[in-house]
Amino acid sequence: MLMHVIHMGHDVFKANDKIAGKNRKALDKHSVFSVNIMGAIGSGKTTLIEEAIKHLKEKYRIAVIAGDVIAEMDASRFRKLGVPTIPVNTGKECHLDAKLVEKALGEIDLHNTDLLILENVGNLICPVDFKLGEHLRVVVVSVTEGDDIILKHPMIFKTAELAVINKVDIAHAVDVDAEKMKDDILSLNPDVPVILTSKHDWESLETWISFIELGIAIAQEAQKK
Amino acid sequence: MHELSIACEIFEQVKSTAAAHGATEVKHVTLQMGKLSHTNPEQLSFCFKVLAEGSIAENADLIVEMMPPTLECECGYNGALDEKQIRESSELKSELLAYVAAMKCPVCGKPAQIIGGRELIIKSIEIETENEN
Repeated sequence: MLMHVIHMGHDVFKANDKIAGKNRKALDKHSVFSVNIMGAIGSGKTTLIEEAIKHLKEKYRIAVIAGDVIAEMDASRFRKLGVPTIPVNTGKECHLDAKLVEKALGEIDLHNTDLLILENVGNLICPVDFKLGEHLRVVVVSVTEGDDIILKHPMIFKTAELAVINKVDIAHAVDVDAEKMKDDILSLNPDVPVILTSKHDWESLETWISFIELGIAIAQEAQKK
Repeated sequence: MHELSIACEIFEQVKSTAAAHGATEVKHVTLQMGKLSHTNPEQLSFCFKVLAEGSIAENADLIVEMMPPTLECECGYNGALDEKQIRESSELKSELLAYVAAMKCPVCGKPAQIIGGRELIIKSIEIETENEN
């Protein structure tokens, strides 16, 4: 019997990152701007996406990849708004990964898409380690999760490029200080834009939507060059 | 909980590398896990054991080396976090949070980029082979 040590140096997450890089290339080739919307369960991800679709669909061609552990409830909400939607059931998995997105991209007409919205599985932990190829990483939380939710999940806020605190209209009822939540996010990630939203406050939704629109404009500008 | 799918990937890689080197048994699998990754070493070991049942890695020990985060700053700093900052934020009672909270450049104090500490690497395997003829 002989013993050997074999050096491998195989990075498990890099395999995902590689596919994410391929996804990004495919999106860039067609100048599609893509947003990965991560967030807590019940934080209002689907509602915020619906609002964005309603107000952008006349101007831009939108497609959605809707991740869910099981069921297609979110996907059917987007389809009702008339945008192509690919439901992705992750099964036992708690996050979308690059491979699932790669497969779903095959079903989307990228030639005729300006904005691709990736709705991740409701979870503040697992999606952090899995890049999808997205241009913008958004994290959504709502006041109902409690104001310690941010510091309990530091990495998602540290790595997000836009943070949304939703349902601020009911902060008082659930005894939460939305400003404290905002301060916590900024303490982890001082440069990230943080927006406070409520589906009953159109002005706040406008701010949210303008961030996405800005991204589309940048993607289209990059294509012209 | 995504340890099972990660364990699957590790198991497949270990199995094929072991087979390529003519292994009769895998004794050890050494992983390097970044302290900022959201993977639980105990759950990962458990999932790996379950997957490896009946295979050449059945009795393999999974050794997990935890890797501290490293930073890169625009001032040119490239290296470890300031351990003092981590100790100062130890009242936060979460190692992950303490690390993230301490992610300022130890030289100039500006927020720095994370360059290491999120990885999960299969570093090496120790295998047994038949005597060479």
